[in-house]
Amino acid sequence: MPSATLLGQSVLSGIFAGGLYALLGLGLSLSWRFLRVINLAHFGFIFLAAYMIYQLAGVWGLSPFAAMLLVVPCLFLLGVALQALFLRFSINEFGSLLVTFGILTITEAAIQWIWTADFRRLETPYGTASYRVGELFVPVAEALTFAVAVTLSISVWALLRFTYIGKAIRASADDPDMAAAFGVRGHGLALLLSGAVAATAGIAGTFIALIATLAPAQIFSWIGVIFAVVILGGLGNPFGILAAGLLIGVSEAVTMALTAPSWAPLVSFSLLILILVLRPGRI
Amino acid sequence: MLSVAGLEVAYGDAPALWDASLEIGEGELVSVVGPNGAGKTTLVNAIARLLPVRRGKLLLDGADAAPLTPREMCERGVAIIPEGRRLFVSMTVEENIDMGCYRSQARRFRAQGLERVYAMFPRLNQRRRQQAGTLSGGEQQMLAIARALMARPRLLLIDEPSLGLAPAIVQQVFETIRGIHAEGVSILLIEQNAAQALAIAERAYVLEGGRTIASGKPKELLAEPHIRDAYLGGNKEK
Repeated sequence: MPSATLLGQSVLSGIFAGGLYALLGLGLSLSWRFLRVINLAHFGFIFLAAYMIYQLAGVWGLSPFAAMLLVVPCLFLLGVALQALFLRFSINEFGSLLVTFGILTITEAAIQWIWTADFRRLETPYGTASYRVGELFVPVAEALTFAVAVTLSISVWALLRFTYIGKAIRASADDPDMAAAFGVRGHGLALLLSGAVAATAGIAGTFIALIATLAPAQIFSWIGVIFAVVILGGLGNPFGILAAGLLIGVSEAVTMALTAPSWAPLVSFSLLILILVLRPGRI
Repeated sequence: MLSVAGLEVAYGDAPALWDASLEIGEGELVSVVGPNGAGKTTLVNAIARLLPVRRGKLLLDGADAAPLTPREMCERGVAIIPEGRRLFVSMTVEENIDMGCYRSQARRFRAQGLERVYAMFPRLNQRRRQQAGTLSGGEQQMLAIARALMARPRLLLIDEPSLGLAPAIVQQVFETIRGIHAEGVSILLIEQNAAQALAIAERAYVLEGGRTIASGKPKELLAEPHIRDAYLGGNKEK
């Protein structure tokens, strides 16, 4: 049995991992629920953003947060362009899976072409700094990521719940014709939402760049666990994503501490299967 | 206010409507009756611009309305209470009402509209935080009416409001429609329940097999044996 400190440190790192999962899954969940696009390209966009941050901050010497202010609007435009493509060719939900898989592959190839397959690491003071709280170490970058994930989830929830644009997005998902009959601009809204989703990929990419060492092949390693989080959290539900991210992050971390790291995926996918069996109809 | 002449609407190659004509004057309550599959809902959806018009005239205030989008129709003061209600089922009662006043000219009057629809349907006020999909059929119909009223329509398109409701609720719905009309809103009422629809209409049209086959004041239509037998259970009187 591991010590209380090790267990505590595991739970803490699980919470931070969960925040990162939520940050990565939020856009996927929104686009799936409200645009009916299962957006695999989102993962490509996240890493594209991470590499852009690496280039701007690591190579050209900008502050990472100034770099983020440049990268996020670029990603927004990319998201708008992606949705324009979907609207132009009226691609359905299943088709979107194939098309975005293609875009993901192209993005990965482009990243590999520009930045090569070597590992890239953004060295910043944030990357290594940590505080000591009692017996536990709190890494600054991870804690910041968690705070951003929570803030973003709450903001998205509030936007969907309290603004007319948010209500129009939800109404369009329920019945697009009726939403249009009451004055909603469906296409414009879809472009805006897709841009916003890609902008969250820009934010997520920034924190991936701060925390992790980058390699193109890593893009694919995130897909499984993030899909589990998205489905577990319930589509289009920002708080659900946060809760699911924490549940999976913490249970993975504790499993790693109690057994071996290779057991972690078993826990997250067992949880997913269990919840799909007990509460079907989440998609 | 609204004028439809020789309207043709098709789903793919199958025409659902091929010669529909009607007129609605300012402040008029006009009913369209006809059997199942006559094209009544198609007619309403085409007027709301949810379906493309293949041929014929569709004029709103004398201007061609066929190229307009549903949103533009809404901005010109046309609101719909569709067949089967088509509420935003995952949203709450009040959010559905909010969607009614989505267009900016209506949004300014939100507080006033909210007061009006809650006075009209106190049940909706009690259930304002409940999900629309969990309401009873009658409550859902009230919510569909409330949503449309929030848009401050000049012309209200009402499609089969009595469908699937208990007789007591049907009475209440028709009373409500009469009340809205009394406030000066023009109404196009599509209804399979011809007796009710003709009782409150000023003029009516009979739609059959995708075309308008008769029109006139309800009394004149009732005087025609073919129409009485076909739509009003004339055989009961024998």
